[in-house]
Amino acid sequence: MRRLTEWSSARVWRSRVHRYRLIAGRCRSCGKVYYPPTDACPYCGSRDVDNMELPRVGRIISYSVIYATPFEDRNRSPVILGLIDLGVARLVTEIVDVKPEELKIGDRVEAVFRRVSVDGTTGLIVYGIKFRPTKAR
Amino acid sequence: MVYVTGVGLIGVDRHYDKSIRRLAFEATTAALNSSMVESIDFVIVASSISYLNESQLDLASYIASSIGLRGVRSITVESGEASGLAAVMMGKSLIDSGLASRVLVVGVDKLSEYPSWRIYKNLSLLYDSESDAFYTIGFGGLAGLLMRLYMDVYKVDRLTLAYWPALMHSNAKANPYAMLRFAITPEKVLEAPPIAEPLTLLDVFPLGDGAAAIVLDGKASGEAMAEIVAVETATGYQSIALSDDPLKIESLEVAYRRLIERTNVRSIDVVELHDSFTITGILELETLRLAERGRAAEAVAQGIFSIGGEGPVVNPSGGLKARGHPIGATGVYQVAEVALQLSGEFPGLKVEGARDGLVVSINAMGSSSYVAYMRAVR
Repeated sequence: MRRLTEWSSARVWRSRVHRYRLIAGRCRSCGKVYYPPTDACPYCGSRDVDNMELPRVGRIISYSVIYATPFEDRNRSPVILGLIDLGVARLVTEIVDVKPEELKIGDRVEAVFRRVSVDGTTGLIVYGIKFRPTKAR
Repeated sequence: MVYVTGVGLIGVDRHYDKSIRRLAFEATTAALNSSMVESIDFVIVASSISYLNESQLDLASYIASSIGLRGVRSITVESGEASGLAAVMMGKSLIDSGLASRVLVVGVDKLSEYPSWRIYKNLSLLYDSESDAFYTIGFGGLAGLLMRLYMDVYKVDRLTLAYWPALMHSNAKANPYAMLRFAITPEKVLEAPPIAEPLTLLDVFPLGDGAAAIVLDGKASGEAMAEIVAVETATGYQSIALSDDPLKIESLEVAYRRLIERTNVRSIDVVELHDSFTITGILELETLRLAERGRAAEAVAQGIFSIGGEGPVVNPSGGLKARGHPIGATGVYQVAEVALQLSGEFPGLKVEGARDGLVVSINAMGSSSYVAYMRAVR
């Protein structure tokens, strides 16, 4: 479960707030909400943007069950990657705590705080938000 | 005006015995021989994953020297999977602007240098590391996700989508430069091991090495094979999550609109498009409006894009699926293949009398797209 991208500790630290708390960008010009936040709106290009916290419950728009994983993720294979609709915005994330055959499009999911990668025994442990099915679907 | 006056292709394969510089040398030698030129003003090297796989930066300078062109002007172009067509666009603009009269574009990349798990990791860097690729997206995770969405939205079954790789394999059989020269049935695609469900191994491009070179010339000499009329491009969303309509490749739609606005695109006879996965090929057909939304897979199954079909012939080379996809080199292969079709010299499946061709190249699921319009000079 090592890093896919060899991120520096500074890069992980810089992104901790929006990754841990699901902070999105919100454009004050066109009103669109997008994740992750960026300095300019990806829709209209405006630089007049601020932040908002995303809802932590959403629905699965689509998903893929990934078997061809990098070596570090072999012990977790298959990994489920999902496109989640949170109402105001969508995001691509990992879906956990469920068997692939139990999953279907439209299922309700909720955010959980999880380890995303571990770089060997002495490297960085990176955390982030993943999603799992809610008890009441 | 910019013409393709020479092409050199190396068969896509696992070239364990050849270095990246050797592959570039062989492709260049073939291209220079076929164009019979003496001097080159500029070398553009298109390569993407090589800087990870080869541990080499400033590749163009090192390749230029090692292929006997030390002293030439050179630059490396890296635009992910679209590097090859991006390099052709740069080459054309050097000639159009008068900075060069003859440009050699060499595309080269090697994917067989390491075990596949390491290549999967490197390939995931084609996607946005700040969003989607923060997670384990593997090799084709996002394509799998889009394929399931496509099947759900348009109610298309998995078997219908399998006609795409079957057509690509059928086309590649006659192409001496293709990596996978054997036929497969659509049923076989469903039985293959899953890569990123619903994608199977037979929906994805093979991991191979390759090099392709073309000579671009501002003058239509006796060797001119085809004219590159225009190349256009656009950038897209960093993640499919940002698009309201992820089943349309926004950047390709914009690039193609720009192309049409700039030139008088006649009816197209042949297209080489970027089918890194079955679903990318299908979405490109629909984005280019060669098929209605949700109907491209059915059109492929009906033979619309096969030789003798009603539509343009799509990927007579076998496409990324079966010719292969040496990442940064692929766009150069495509331009060379369309030039060979337009001059009637393609050594595989021929599109007889083809006069107008399109080349489409994208990175990832459309972080950027490039499209070129080429015309016969015969």
